[in-house]
Amino acid sequence: MIALEQVTKIFRLPHDRRATLRQRFVNILRKNTYEELYALRDINLKVGEGEFLGIIGKNGAGKSTLLKVIAGVLEPTSGTVSVNGNIAPFLELGVGFQGELTVKDNIILYGALLGMSRQEIERKYDWIIDFSGLERFVDAKLKNLSSGMQVRLGFSITVSVESPILLVDEVLAVGDIDFQKKCYDCFEDFKKHGRTILFVSHDLNAVERFCDRVVLLENGKIEAQGESGAVIAEYRGNMKPAQTI
Amino acid sequence: MKKSVWSYIESSRKENLLGRKNYLFLTLTMAVTDFKIKYDNSVLGYLWSLLKPLLMFGTLYLVFSVFVRWEVENYRLYLLLGIILWNFLSEVTLNSMVLLEGKALILKKIYFPRWIIVIASSLTSLLTLLLNICVFFVFFIVSGIHFQTRGLYLIVYLAELYVLVLGLALLLCSVFPKFRDIHHIWEVFVQLGFWATPIIYPISIVPKKYHTLIFINPIARIIQGCRQALIGPGSEFLGFTNHIIIISVAACLFVVGLAMYNKLSRSFAEVL
Repeated sequence: MIALEQVTKIFRLPHDRRATLRQRFVNILRKNTYEELYALRDINLKVGEGEFLGIIGKNGAGKSTLLKVIAGVLEPTSGTVSVNGNIAPFLELGVGFQGELTVKDNIILYGALLGMSRQEIERKYDWIIDFSGLERFVDAKLKNLSSGMQVRLGFSITVSVESPILLVDEVLAVGDIDFQKKCYDCFEDFKKHGRTILFVSHDLNAVERFCDRVVLLENGKIEAQGESGAVIAEYRGNMKPAQTI
Repeated sequence: MKKSVWSYIESSRKENLLGRKNYLFLTLTMAVTDFKIKYDNSVLGYLWSLLKPLLMFGTLYLVFSVFVRWEVENYRLYLLLGIILWNFLSEVTLNSMVLLEGKALILKKIYFPRWIIVIASSLTSLLTLLLNICVFFVFFIVSGIHFQTRGLYLIVYLAELYVLVLGLALLLCSVFPKFRDIHHIWEVFVQLGFWATPIIYPISIVPKKYHTLIFINPIARIIQGCRQALIGPGSEFLGFTNHIIIISVAACLFVVGLAMYNKLSRSFAEVL
């Protein structure tokens, strides 16, 4: 379903960022120096249909970059990415939301951004409203809703996309307990229906519970992969003992 | 290494053509969204937005029909049409850059073909243009001029104008993330162009030897063509050669703009 071959992503971080003609002109004689950051290094990865793959690793290990490369948002510096089937990105909930529009308009806009057709959105509209529990606020402007409600709305819309592949990046960190339970129920459901899911999380218990296979990333490289219990144990073993303050 | 990058692009292109067919819906939804936000989702919001071009028209009309007098028939319509068309150019080119910046967050998180943003913003402005043309026709009818069949040329000119302006917008947007001040620089150019194009003055006051210079600008040709189609006098801009010139410039700009945009938009998620 998803196959990555020797994917490398290098970010060039200029020491001083020149984003205007003026800055370029003023600094024309000064050489700009770069810091090269290997966000991903020779990643080879295959994800089969119906697999629930967990991706773990420390901050800055390249987890989010990996998902972005698969989603097509970032272009790899070298290597190939081939994806078979539609992707629903759960990279961040409700990024396309417009506060000035009503909840209803936002459902249409966000649905369209996630690749749904008009008929699909119409078909799922009632379900989305019901699932997010916002019946009373359909015609309210989104900016007047609490942030929790907005997240629920974003989640409900994303969940309703019928794509075979889901990329999930830490969405669970934001909700309350009820919401987290809802999310987990959803993922159980997806798993049953044989959808392919890539799950990035720091919540190792959740990863252990859902994932068949886990990839451990470190400094942009795959440090270990395999059966979830073993990889998580290795990750835990690598942890530095906490320092006393 | 190079080869592998190309095969990546190949595969993503395939996905574009076959995988997802809802891009038209996404484009329209984005355009409607921008339109709703712009006019606050109300008719009065639209009327309010008419204030700016109408005030501009009123001021210029006052100055150039009371203080300075041009020998132009139907000067009111002549001026209004020029302002409306020029406003379209300035709005599409400037707004598309602003919208691109506003959509930076989405671009970093969700994949969709990047040209959708520019097309959507141009469609928003196109809707405004069509509404403004309706306002023009109100003035047109009040003036008691007869609509002739050659007035239908207006549609051809608007189509040419749209392609031309879209090409410009693509070109500007493709370099915008790397050179943010292109927005300010372009603003100055739009201002310059406004005076270098016969919008408020009749072409007859310009010495003959400068005419070639003025009509290098395809927009000047389009504006003159629209005027001659609707209010006259004369018909030298309705001819075949004029269309050929406009279409070839528009096509060139569009092709170059699209190619550059396609190439540079791949790194938008990183530089925006």
